[in-house]
Amino acid sequence: MRHGSLPLLAVLLLLALAPSADAQPKDTLTIALVAHAPTLDPHMHFERVGILVNINMFDSLLHRSAKLAYEPALATSWKAINETTWEFKLRKGVRFHNGDTLTAEDVKFSFDRVLEPGKTTKKSPQYGNVRAIKEVRIVDPDTIHVVTDKPFPLLLERLVFFPIVPKKHVEKVGDDAFGASAPIGTGPWKFVEWKRDQYIRLDAHDGYWRGKPPFKHLIVRAIPEIATEVAELKTGGVDLMRNVPADLVPELKTGPQTYVSSTPILRVHQIELDMRSAPFDKKLVRQAANYAIDKQAIIQKLMGGLGQQVATVVQPPAFGFDAEVKPYPYDPPKARELLARAGYPNGVDVTLHSASVEFRPLFEAMAQMLTEVGIRVNTRMWDPGPAWNKFFQSEGKATNGIYFNWGNYSVFDADAVLHPLFHTEPGGWIGKWYTRVEGLDKLIDEGRSTLNQPQRKRTYSQIQRVIHEEAPAIFLFTQYDTLGIAKRVEYAARGDEWLWLFDAKPRR
Amino acid sequence: MTAFVVRRLFRLVVVCVGVSLVTFAILHASGDPVSLIMPEAPEADRAVLRQALGLHDPLIVQFARFVGRAAGGDFGNSFFHRTPAFGLVMERMPTTLTLTLLSMALAIVVALPVGIYGAVRRGRAVDQVATGAVFLGQSMPVFWTGIMLILLFSVQWRLLPVSGWDSWTSVVLPTLTLGAFTAPLLLRIVRSSMLEVIGLDYVRTARAKGVAEWLVIGRHALKNAALPLVTVTGLQFGLLLGGAVITETVFAIPGVGRLIVGAIRQLDFPVVQAGVFMLAMIVVSVNFTVDVLYVYLNPRIRLR
Repeated sequence: MRHGSLPLLAVLLLLALAPSADAQPKDTLTIALVAHAPTLDPHMHFERVGILVNINMFDSLLHRSAKLAYEPALATSWKAINETTWEFKLRKGVRFHNGDTLTAEDVKFSFDRVLEPGKTTKKSPQYGNVRAIKEVRIVDPDTIHVVTDKPFPLLLERLVFFPIVPKKHVEKVGDDAFGASAPIGTGPWKFVEWKRDQYIRLDAHDGYWRGKPPFKHLIVRAIPEIATEVAELKTGGVDLMRNVPADLVPELKTGPQTYVSSTPILRVHQIELDMRSAPFDKKLVRQAANYAIDKQAIIQKLMGGLGQQVATVVQPPAFGFDAEVKPYPYDPPKARELLARAGYPNGVDVTLHSASVEFRPLFEAMAQMLTEVGIRVNTRMWDPGPAWNKFFQSEGKATNGIYFNWGNYSVFDADAVLHPLFHTEPGGWIGKWYTRVEGLDKLIDEGRSTLNQPQRKRTYSQIQRVIHEEAPAIFLFTQYDTLGIAKRVEYAARGDEWLWLFDAKPRR
Repeated sequence: MTAFVVRRLFRLVVVCVGVSLVTFAILHASGDPVSLIMPEAPEADRAVLRQALGLHDPLIVQFARFVGRAAGGDFGNSFFHRTPAFGLVMERMPTTLTLTLLSMALAIVVALPVGIYGAVRRGRAVDQVATGAVFLGQSMPVFWTGIMLILLFSVQWRLLPVSGWDSWTSVVLPTLTLGAFTAPLLLRIVRSSMLEVIGLDYVRTARAKGVAEWLVIGRHALKNAALPLVTVTGLQFGLLLGGAVITETVFAIPGVGRLIVGAIRQLDFPVVQAGVFMLAMIVVSVNFTVDVLYVYLNPRIRLR
């Protein structure tokens, strides 16, 4: 016994000495993300977790308000001069964190370091976002022109996240140091310290043109495990976390120190069908599949009510959404009838794949619903790692469909979901393998080649009617962004999944 | 003795090359990192990047180049962090080693006395509780233990921080978690080998001579009973490093395991190779040390 009690004693002693775990300083805001991006350079990565940090350190030409409308940021006004040229007036007297004043040179430099005119390999993974830009011209110290190679209706959307970096500073320290230890922007917080995989520490930028941010210190912790994030939130270790799972929402809602804020976002779920091979080469079978799924039941029972049924893949807040196109109702008899008419009176076997691990219960419930009407589904769940990537890259062969969700890269425009999902051009995403709808490519091209918004809206209405009828996918629902927040902080989830923490305020 | 050490060292090299070969083969069979790095780029752009990263050569050439460089400690630059992979791994190695060694120490400190006591007072309350605890400890997965400890010590009692690696208080729960994973096996080994030894003639002789009971157990019996413990401790070390991967994720600890898991997701070949290689080196070195130690502890073992 003498020996046995020693370690126990030691542990108890440790516990007695340990300081209380919570109690953060009032002027500090701590948020949790599942990871840090490999760099703080806003142009040299393409990761959501990096963007969420970058936006609080850097400004772009435009900003999106909490109500999702464009707002002036580093540009005070903008207009299209012709179909391919946009003019931006720059804000005067904006200061970088190091005290330098923002100039048109900095803006041009920021574009050029992503576009790298004349080079075949581009360093920036964001190049694809702005590849339509041919040239950025300085007209006078307060005016720039952005010239695109053809009409580019998504330009303003892309510029909402296109951070402006200081030319002189970046050239002095070099790209690598800029991203690792010396990021400087014009945004509300400035860089202090980064411990990789632990925390990023930022301090308020005193000369910020919008005024002082309400929290003096901002700490971004990297916590990979959601259960751990929830525990941190409950004990005051962090003030804000993303992606609260549906089953933990009630607990955080009723917790003494926490609340939940959620809002519909662009992320849309669907099962994209392989139209090249049987049975989904037949329109009637694809329609039958759409009638077979009880979307409301899934939203209510499996998503905690945090979802919104959609008629196609175009999300209600996205430009071009047409409310006149109505979702397929849940109608199993009709599904069976269509299936029989398509030549499958005894049903048919299919294989569906997914790597959306967190939505596995939804996937399995939907597979069951399809099976009940005679589309007997064999589900294959993948770990979203290398094996899945390889499978996906090899054209998703040996599959009849894939269940996944798409977030438009936060671009509020129908093009940002229609092109990757349904356009068949070789450089495209999943559409090139699966979708075979007569005339759809041409319509999608039409929508992206003019700045005439009323005309684009008409094109997208037409597309939504076409895909609703042709059903190249089983259309499902959009998802909500669900934040867990400490009661000492006032903040609300945004429709673009951004964490614009300048809007976060201490609550008294 | 020298010949023995040299032979063992040679085996160490063989194992290291084998580990890199397997890692290399699995990684290259698992997909194309270029399409993850530039998902939207046209094929022509990807080809240029593939060239730049040296991924266009035949696999055998790539492997030869990799081994050549790795011998000099150069595993290439991380595809994502754009800094040397070896540096990224070594930066995190002290954290992982601290966690692993502390857990090992904790496991031994618990297993040794409790195991001995259980053997000596076989079937008594302490023994029965310990056996039950072993059963429980071995059936709990590491991530579950970790989360339960967080719920108890951090959420319920507010005694320790939930996660992180900034003060000694944040070291306690991960160490407990990983210790609880190792201690049961060690405890069983200590108990059973002690049971075996105290039944032997020489122990009875010692008792008959009137040697004090604590000396009989502590000096005579323990020496022989400790042999299997040394072996198992060495073997457990590899398992512990594996457990550290999960513990680091649950407690948000900036260690090698978490780095490798992230790198696997991103197909960051150099980081995975450097990380796995270094961990393998550690396991192999520990086993080497155990082998050598064994010879000292047990002179009956012949050197071959």
